[in-house]
Amino acid sequence: MKPYRAELMVCAGTGCVSNGAFQVKDALENEIKERGLENEVRVVTTGCNGFCGVGPLLVVHPDGIFYQLLTTKDIPYLVEEHFLKGRPVQRLMYTPPEDKLPVPKMSEIEFFKHQMLIALRNRGIIDPENIEEYIARDGYTGLAKALNGMTPEEIIQTVKDSKLRGRGGAGFQTGVKWELTRKAKEKTKYIVCNADEGDPGAYMDRSILESDPHSILEGMIIGARAIGAQQGFIYIRHEYPLAMKRLLIAIDQAKEYGLLGDNIFDTGFSFDIQVHRGAGAFVCGEETALLSALEGQRGEPRPRPPYPVEHGLSGYPTNINNVETWANIPVIISRGAKWYAEIGTENSKGTKVFSLVGKINNTGLVEVPMGIKLRDIIYGIGGGIPDGKKFKAVQTGGPSGGCIPDSLIDLPIDYESLKEAGSMMGSGGMVVMDEDTCMVDVARYFLTFTCDESCGKCSPCRDGTKYLLDILTRITEGKGNMEDLDLLEGLSKVVKETALCGLGQTAPNPILTTMKYFRDEYESHIKDKKCPAKVCRQLNIYTIDEERCVTEGHGCGVCMRECPEKAITGEKKKAHKINQEICVKCGACYDVCRFGAVIVE
Amino acid sequence: METNTFEPKIVGFLCRWCTYQGADLAGTSRMEYPPNLIPVRVMCSGRVDPSFVMQAYSEGADAVVIFGCHLGDCHYQEGNYKAMRRYHLLKKMIEELGIEPQRLQLEWVSASEGERYQKEVSRIFSEVRELGPLDLNNGKAQSNG
Amino acid sequence: MINITLNGKKLSVEEGMTILQVAQQERIDIPTLCYHPLLEPYAACRMCVVEVKGDSKSELKTSCNTKVQEGMVIETDSERTLNARRLNIELLMARAPAAKVIQEMAAQMGIEKTPFPIENPEAKCILCGMCVRVCEDVVGAHVLTFEERGFERKVTTAFNMPSEKCIECGACAYFCPTEAIRVEDFRGREVLHSELTLGPTTAIRIPFMQSTPNVPFIDKDNCIHFKTDKCKLCEMVCEPEAINHDVEDTFKEIEVGSAVLATGYELLDCSNMPQYGYGRLDNVITSLEFEHLCHASGPTGGKILLKDGREPKGVAILHCIGSRDENYMKYCSRVCCMYAMKMAHLVHEKVDAEVYEFYIDIRAFGKGYEEFYNRMQKEGTHFIRGKAAEVTNAALIPEEENKLIVRAEDTTVNMIRRIPVDLVILCPAIVARKDSEKIMKLFGLCSTPDGFFKEQHPKLGPVSTDADGIFLAGACQGPKDIPDTVAQGAGAAGAVMSLGDEVAIEPIFSAIDEEICVGCKICIGVCPYDAISYVEDKKISSIEETLCKGCGACVAACPSGAADQNCFTNSQIEAEVSGALF
Repeated sequence: MKPYRAELMVCAGTGCVSNGAFQVKDALENEIKERGLENEVRVVTTGCNGFCGVGPLLVVHPDGIFYQLLTTKDIPYLVEEHFLKGRPVQRLMYTPPEDKLPVPKMSEIEFFKHQMLIALRNRGIIDPENIEEYIARDGYTGLAKALNGMTPEEIIQTVKDSKLRGRGGAGFQTGVKWELTRKAKEKTKYIVCNADEGDPGAYMDRSILESDPHSILEGMIIGARAIGAQQGFIYIRHEYPLAMKRLLIAIDQAKEYGLLGDNIFDTGFSFDIQVHRGAGAFVCGEETALLSALEGQRGEPRPRPPYPVEHGLSGYPTNINNVETWANIPVIISRGAKWYAEIGTENSKGTKVFSLVGKINNTGLVEVPMGIKLRDIIYGIGGGIPDGKKFKAVQTGGPSGGCIPDSLIDLPIDYESLKEAGSMMGSGGMVVMDEDTCMVDVARYFLTFTCDESCGKCSPCRDGTKYLLDILTRITEGKGNMEDLDLLEGLSKVVKETALCGLGQTAPNPILTTMKYFRDEYESHIKDKKCPAKVCRQLNIYTIDEERCVTEGHGCGVCMRECPEKAITGEKKKAHKINQEICVKCGACYDVCRFGAVIVE
Repeated sequence: METNTFEPKIVGFLCRWCTYQGADLAGTSRMEYPPNLIPVRVMCSGRVDPSFVMQAYSEGADAVVIFGCHLGDCHYQEGNYKAMRRYHLLKKMIEELGIEPQRLQLEWVSASEGERYQKEVSRIFSEVRELGPLDLNNGKAQSNG
Repeated sequence: MINITLNGKKLSVEEGMTILQVAQQERIDIPTLCYHPLLEPYAACRMCVVEVKGDSKSELKTSCNTKVQEGMVIETDSERTLNARRLNIELLMARAPAAKVIQEMAAQMGIEKTPFPIENPEAKCILCGMCVRVCEDVVGAHVLTFEERGFERKVTTAFNMPSEKCIECGACAYFCPTEAIRVEDFRGREVLHSELTLGPTTAIRIPFMQSTPNVPFIDKDNCIHFKTDKCKLCEMVCEPEAINHDVEDTFKEIEVGSAVLATGYELLDCSNMPQYGYGRLDNVITSLEFEHLCHASGPTGGKILLKDGREPKGVAILHCIGSRDENYMKYCSRVCCMYAMKMAHLVHEKVDAEVYEFYIDIRAFGKGYEEFYNRMQKEGTHFIRGKAAEVTNAALIPEEENKLIVRAEDTTVNMIRRIPVDLVILCPAIVARKDSEKIMKLFGLCSTPDGFFKEQHPKLGPVSTDADGIFLAGACQGPKDIPDTVAQGAGAAGAVMSLGDEVAIEPIFSAIDEEICVGCKICIGVCPYDAISYVEDKKISSIEETLCKGCGACVAACPSGAADQNCFTNSQIEAEVSGALF
C-alpha cells in the first residue's frame, strides 16, 4: 500500500450517512484534488465510530484529530487550513458541554476515553469493504490459529474459559452452548448469527455489521469448526440494507481469499454462510421464532424444550449467537481466554456495547468493560444531561427491559445486577430519561411496542399485553382507579411468569420497574388526576397568564388561530382565555406561545 | 315398369361363434330376410380358403359373402384379420378375372346382432339382384384355363 | 427410570415422559386447552403450567412440553400456578366468552366474570391452533393458517378465500375444543362423506354387515392419507399394529380349470333422467338407498325419515324408471314390481303414510307373488296404473306446498293425476356393469344386445358360455331375482363339478398329412396357439391335438393341402358349397 501523509477517516455509519457523510466525503475528495494533494492525502470511508450524535465526523490519522458536525461548506476551509497549511481547525472540533476549550484529539474526548474496544475494535479505522484492511489489523489470525493449532475441543474450552456470555440478552454461556451443540447426536449441524436487532434505539449489531463485517464471519467460521457445522446462516433485518451490502461483499471477499467455502486454509474443513433477510417482525429476534422464519414458516416462537441446540433448524442441532458475541470470538481465540477473563466482573466477563440515547449530551455507541458504574456511563462518557436537567432514570435492555432510577446510579452494570434491579442487559439499549419524563407514559410507550409486536401465539402475551396497555392508557387519560394498580401488577406478574417466549416474559418489565420505583407517579395520575412531568396531556390543564399575555405578547392571538377546537377567545392587545369545557388538551397553544403565557398545570 | 325378379344364388361363409349365432338369433326373433343366401358354417372366418370362394363362383354362385366377428372380438384371437387380408387379395384377383368386386363381400356381425344380420343379408341381396347373374363365359370373364 | 416428587409424592417414572403425561398417569387433573396427545405440544394456552421447584428458585413451566428430570419437585396446584391459571382463563373469557369449555373451566375455578373488556360476546375461538396444526401436521392439507399478529391474530385460509386445497375432512372442526369451527356445505357439495348420499360415513369401516371377511377396510377415496400423504392417526392408535397404508393391491394368478362369472349388475344412473329430480330435489331416492335407509345399521338406524328428520306422510314408488322405456332400456328389469311392493309393505309397517305405486303392468309371476300383490292391495297401497312422467316441487294448489308432486297419466281412468307426497322412491333399471366389456374380452364371451353376458343357448345352454369351462350365474347374464339367481348359481356349480378331472375337448382339430407336407412352415406362423411345431428329422410340421382349438387358419393357409380340419374338412366344405349351389 502506498503511504500517505494523512488519511482522513470519514465515518460512513448509517447515522453519519443520513446526515450527509457521503456528500462531505465527495467534497473532501474534490477539494483535495483541486489543491493537488491527492498523492499526499487520502480519504477513507469507515464504519460507525459510535459518536453518532455529532456526525458527520472525520478523524485525521495519524495525528488523531477529531472533527465533528461537518457540512460541505466547511470543507474548502478545512482542507486549506489543516491539510495545506497545517493548522487544525478548532471551530470544527468537539467541545465538551461545560468546557469552552475544544478537544482536538479523539483519544482525549470523554466519550472515547473510557471505552474499551473489543467487539468494536476496528470501528472507524478500517474500510469495511476491504478485507486487506481487516487482515492488516490482525484479522483472520484467530481463525488461522483455531484451524491450524487447535482441536475443536480446545476451541470450545477456550471460549468456555473466557466465560463469554451471549450478548443477545439472556447471557447464556457461549462455550457451554457450543459444547451442547457439538455433543448433539445428529451429524448435520447449523450455526446461525442473529442479526435481527429490533430494539428501538439499539443499533450496536448494525454498527458492527457495517464497520467490521469480517469479524462476524471469522467468529462464525471458528464457531463452525468448534461445533462441527457445515452451514451457517446470518439472519439480518430487512431494514439494514447497508449492513447487508457490506456483509455480502465481505462474504465474497472471504471466499476469494479461501477463508470461506471449501477446504479452508487447506485443512479440509469446509463451511459456507448464507445471508437471510428478515421480514420485519420483532419477535424473530427470539431464537425459536428466528428458526421458524428461517425455515420459511410464520415467525413464531416454539415451546422450549426442545432447545435449538438439540432440535433447531429443520430439526437439526443449531447454535445461535448474536452478532456481538460472534465478533468477540476472534479476539478471544487470538489473545487467549485468560486475557479476556481478566476484563469485567466475576460472572460477567469482557466488554459490552451499549447504545446510549435519550436525554443525554453524548449520544452514540459505547463499548465498556462489564462492571462499569452507571454513573460513569451517564456522566463520564455520556457527558451528563443536557440543559442542566435532573437525571431521573435509565431504561436498559430495550422495550422489555426495566427502568433503573437515579437512586441506583452507582450500580455496577453486569447481567446479574441489572436483573436484580428488575431490568435486564438485553441487547444493550440504554435510554436516559430526565425529570421531564413521565414514567407511566414510558411504560405505556414500551407496552405499545411489545403489544404491537406480540406474535399472538400464547394468550398471556397476546391478550395480557393488550389489557396491560389498556389499563396504562386508562391511567394516563385520568380514568384509572386504585384497583387498576393491583390488576396491573397481578397481570404483569402472570404474563411474566407464563408467557411462551422472551418477548412476553419480559414485556411487563417496564411496568413492574416503574411501579416499583415510581409508584407515586402512578398514584398521582389516579388520585390527583395529575401528571407530575406534564407529559400526559389528557391530565394537563392549560391556562393563559393574562398579564404575560398582554404585557409580553400584546395579545398576539397566535394561540387562538392554532387552537383546533376554537377554545381560545380574546381580542388583539387584550388577554386571551381558554374555555376549559371545549379544550381537548392538545397542547398546540402551549407549543406556539413565544411569550410563555400559556401555563400547564 | 318392370320389376326385377332375378333370384341370385349367394354363398355365405358364417363364423360359428358370431354370425352363425347372429343368424340364429335373427331366426328365433322371427326376422324376415331373403332366403337367397345359403350359409356355410365354418369354425372361423379365417378358415375360409380362397379356393372355396373360387369354387363357389365356378359352380354358379352370383356372390360370396364372408361373415366374421368384429375386429378384436375373434374367438381365435386374430382369425378375422387373416380373413380380411385374404379378402383384399381375393377382391383384386376376381377383378382381374372380370368379376365385379361387389360380388365378394366381407361383413362383421356379432352373435347379438340378429338385426344387423337381417339388414346385411337384405342389402347384399338387393345389390346382387341389381348386378344380375354372374356369367363367367360371356366374354367379359374369359377363363384362362 | 427417573425419580421425581409430584405434589409431595415420590415417584419413579420413565425417562422421556412429560410432566403432563406423568400427572395424567397419576390421575392428577391439569387443565389443558391446546394439548392433544396426537399433536406436538404447542404450549400456547399456558393453562397447563405447574410449579417446578429448584434449589434456589422455582419456576412456572408448561407441563405439556416439559420433560421430567431427575430430582424434579413439581407442584400442580400451588397458589402460584392456580393464580396464573385463573388470570389466564380470565383473559380467555374476555376473548371467547361464548366458548363452553372456557365457561366450564372458569366455573370450576370459581370465576364468574372476567375483569377484562369483552369485545364480541359471540366469540368462541381461543386461538389454541388445534385446527391449524391438525390441518398442517396431521392432515397435511395446509389449508388453515393464522393471519395478523398479536391481539388481532385469527385463524383463516389463505387470502381469506375458500380453499381449493381443502379436502373437506372435517378434522379441524373435530379437534376444535370450543366449537368455533363448524362444518358447513360449500361449493354445493356434501361435506361429510356419505355412502349412497344418505349420511355420514368414515374412511375406515366394515363395508357392510355380513361382509366376508368381516373386517374393516380403508376407503382410499375418503382416507386423508391417500389425499395428502399424511395423517396415519389410525396407525398410531392401533395397538396390534395391524394397519399398513403402504399395502398395494396385488394381483395373484390362480390356475383353475373353469370359472363361474357372477359379476352382477348396476342400477341405471337416475341423475341422467332430470324429469324425476334425482340429485336435484331432496327426498327423491333410489330403491337401493331406501333399502339402506330401512336397514338397522343404516344412517337413521332403520327409521324412515326425510332429509330434515320428519317422517313422511306420503310415499310414491315409481316403477320402470328406465326399464321398458324406448329411450333407455327396452327390457323389463323383472325384480322391481315385487321389491316395490315389499317397500310399500315396509312403509306401512314403519310409518303412518299413504303409499302410491305408479306402474305400467304389475308382473307378479313367481311363486306366491300374485298372492303378495293381493295382500298389498288389501293393506291399502294405492296402485296407479300409469308410468310417472315427472316429479316436481312446483305447487299449483295449497295442498301441494312443500311437497313433491308426482305427475302421471292414470290409464284406468284416462286422466292426468298429480299426487303430492313427501318421499319419492325410484325403481331404476337393472343394467349391465360398466366394465362388463372388459370381462367379456378377458373370457372370450359375447353379450346379448342389452349388454348382459350371452349364454351358450337361451334354452339349451342357459348356464354355460361359448368359452369352454366358463359359466354364468346371476344378474350378469340378465336381470334376475334371488330365486332365479340361486338356481342358476347352483346350475353353474353343478356344471363345473360335472367336468371332473378330465376336460373333454371338441373333436374339431386340425391335422397334417405327413405324406403331403413339404415343411414350408407357413402354418406355424398363422397358428395363434403355438400348437404347430416343426419336426426336424422328418422335415415336416406337426400339430399337437390338445393344443389345437380348431380355428382352421392353418388349413386355409396350407399351400400344399397337407393340413385339414376334422369335422370341417376341405372336401366337406367343398361339398357343402356344391350342395348349396345345386
